[in-house]
Amino acid sequence: MAALILGISAVTFAVEMDPREKAVLDQLPGANCGACGFAGCAAFAHEITENPEAEMACPAVNEAALNAMSEILGRDLGGGAAFVAFIRCKGTPDQTETRYNYVGPKDCRAAQLVAGGSKACQFGCLGLGTCVDVCPFGAMYMGEDSLPHVIESKCTGCGKCIQACPRGIVQLIPSSGNFCVGCISSDISKDMKQLCKVGCIKCGICADVCPFDAISVAKDKAAQIDQAKCQTCGLCVSVCPTSVIGFVHTPVKVHVIDEKCKGCGICASVCPVDAISGIIKQPYTVNQSRCIGCGMCIDMCPADAIERNIS
Amino acid sequence: MKTFKGGIHPPEEKDLVKNNPIVDLPLSSVFYVLVQQHLGAPAKPIVKPGDEVKKGQPLSEPLGFVSAPVHAPTSGKVTAIAKRVHPVTGLLAPCIVIEADGKDEWVEGLPLNRDPFTMKKEELMGAIQSAGIVGMGGATFPTHVKLSPPKEKTIDTFIVNGAECEPYLSSDHRLMLEQPERVLNGMRIAMGILGLNKGILAIEANKPDVIKIMEEKAPPEIMVEPLKVKYPQGAEKQLINAITGREVPSGGLPMDVGAVVQNAGTCAAIWDACAHGIPLIERITSVTGRGIKHPKNIRVRVGTPIQEVIDFCGGLTEAAKIIYGGPMMGIAQFSDQISIMKGTSGVLVLTEKDTNISWYSGCISCGRCVEACPMCLIPSTLSKLGEKSMWEMALGNDLLDCVECGSCTYVCPANRPIVHFVKHLKALQRAANAKKKGA
Repeated sequence: MAALILGISAVTFAVEMDPREKAVLDQLPGANCGACGFAGCAAFAHEITENPEAEMACPAVNEAALNAMSEILGRDLGGGAAFVAFIRCKGTPDQTETRYNYVGPKDCRAAQLVAGGSKACQFGCLGLGTCVDVCPFGAMYMGEDSLPHVIESKCTGCGKCIQACPRGIVQLIPSSGNFCVGCISSDISKDMKQLCKVGCIKCGICADVCPFDAISVAKDKAAQIDQAKCQTCGLCVSVCPTSVIGFVHTPVKVHVIDEKCKGCGICASVCPVDAISGIIKQPYTVNQSRCIGCGMCIDMCPADAIERNIS
Repeated sequence: MKTFKGGIHPPEEKDLVKNNPIVDLPLSSVFYVLVQQHLGAPAKPIVKPGDEVKKGQPLSEPLGFVSAPVHAPTSGKVTAIAKRVHPVTGLLAPCIVIEADGKDEWVEGLPLNRDPFTMKKEELMGAIQSAGIVGMGGATFPTHVKLSPPKEKTIDTFIVNGAECEPYLSSDHRLMLEQPERVLNGMRIAMGILGLNKGILAIEANKPDVIKIMEEKAPPEIMVEPLKVKYPQGAEKQLINAITGREVPSGGLPMDVGAVVQNAGTCAAIWDACAHGIPLIERITSVTGRGIKHPKNIRVRVGTPIQEVIDFCGGLTEAAKIIYGGPMMGIAQFSDQISIMKGTSGVLVLTEKDTNISWYSGCISCGRCVEACPMCLIPSTLSKLGEKSMWEMALGNDLLDCVECGSCTYVCPANRPIVHFVKHLKALQRAANAKKKGA
């Protein structure tokens, strides 16, 4: 009997919904994170379907879904670059000094209230995992090193972790980029060194070697990579004396396909780390211990004779 | 005996130091005077490295009405304006470093000898403001602001807080016992400024010697009111409620119920400033706890390095924790690079046995915190919301009425840092408000 009433009311009182809205909603991440400024994915799906002026505000949507939505709505929603979160601190408890033993709420924002946090470096990760707790996509986890780690395949770049981090050490980098400096300390090198063994010492070698002028560094500012200029060659990683520059994907080294190589030598001349050598008109070879996987040689090879190793 | 609803009774532990007369700390050779020693608008240093300063000379200039200057604690030379750890915020803050010349000379014209009861109200207020007097119980709110309520508020009650309800501390106890005239005369000046002809001196019943001496010395317009021994009896809102039965409305101030409360130490400082023109450059502090060899009540200059204070009291023994203020609301220190401030009512050194350093567990809903809360809140709910950072919902649970006295945390059998959760929620609310304002 009750089932009958429910059945009838479900048909009678059914809310009419634009089928496009339903289709758009299916494409949205469904995490209801609120980063778009609306009360959840359904509210945003409604807005973008009903309002032809509405722009794509969801930072977490991937390119395939974006194209699907453009098709559903019959208008171009833009190419919206995808982003991925990057943790800009490498200060594990054994590398960074601690000022006191913290006992209290397991929330970095609360820990920050106690004399500005227990980590001696005022820029470093407090390691209580608030970013992990707020991530709506389960794309972060606390490692055994007491630092948060991003699962790149799950991260949608919604930016929730950035809002939650009291120290501002999370940065979004475009998924076309790969490298980021794992330190934001503004302490001058001497002061920083007393607190942390792995921070950016502001030596500036990375800025000097960068072929694209994408890195800026100052005495009181950790190196910063301009993601718009970075061509992901990875030269900076290979020269950094403290290994503080990190990457999202491990750079994959290259090798020469002997059958295709014409022996022109262009690769050897563009290689920034002199990892390629050979004799003209004979197949060249890549010194695997020197190659940094920047891929400049691949771009320049006229014979398509260089490819990445299978990782 | 009068009191308020709720509250707790932790071990008093005052026997360690309450019978020790006040002694002067020998003059330090170097002083670190923090520029920000009050709540409110910042102050700006007006001296520069190399300047010669005399005792009592202003070192900073307040920027705004709700602000207070600091003064040179002795004569000497300013060697630097450096960054040092601020004991309250734990962050690096500007600090004026003075190397003492050992002569301890007053700035020209001080100390004065005048009769404050013949002075005009404006003159008295000016004297208090320029002396840099702040609430000496620990909250350090500028005193001249508290003494100038807006015209539309009628003030009919003036209460001086001599409860000293924090365990361990005895600085107000010794002050009232040894120098009752300073406190009583300071009270009379404040009453004159507020236009009142009566005042109440509230003292917890665990100080019968003080109650006796005050009843003897107090003029007829000052009533001595013994209060039940209970924490937080000395909290402003609880004190008003206990004595007058009035309740400060949610989000309101004591002046909304016609009351002004001042600490006993502040009254003594008011007397010094009005009668002698002496700025707030020294205070009485209890150095106590089982982690210090010889607990003492000391008269100490503002800016004295903590190391000198500890050495004077025989050094540390099995110290596990150093706290500025009392064990309930005081602030634990992580550095020894700190100095005495205007609001340092005590330096408490606890041994490992006296501290509880352990992680918390989930709320077991026993309700002890609800019983203990003097503000009639439900701390257990606030703590659970704090765990989830749900500040908006906490606002509906009267988050902002919490006075952070710590009674709930003290009684919690699950070791939950409830006050910390509340502070966390309040900080989230402040950040959200600031963001809204900025947007």
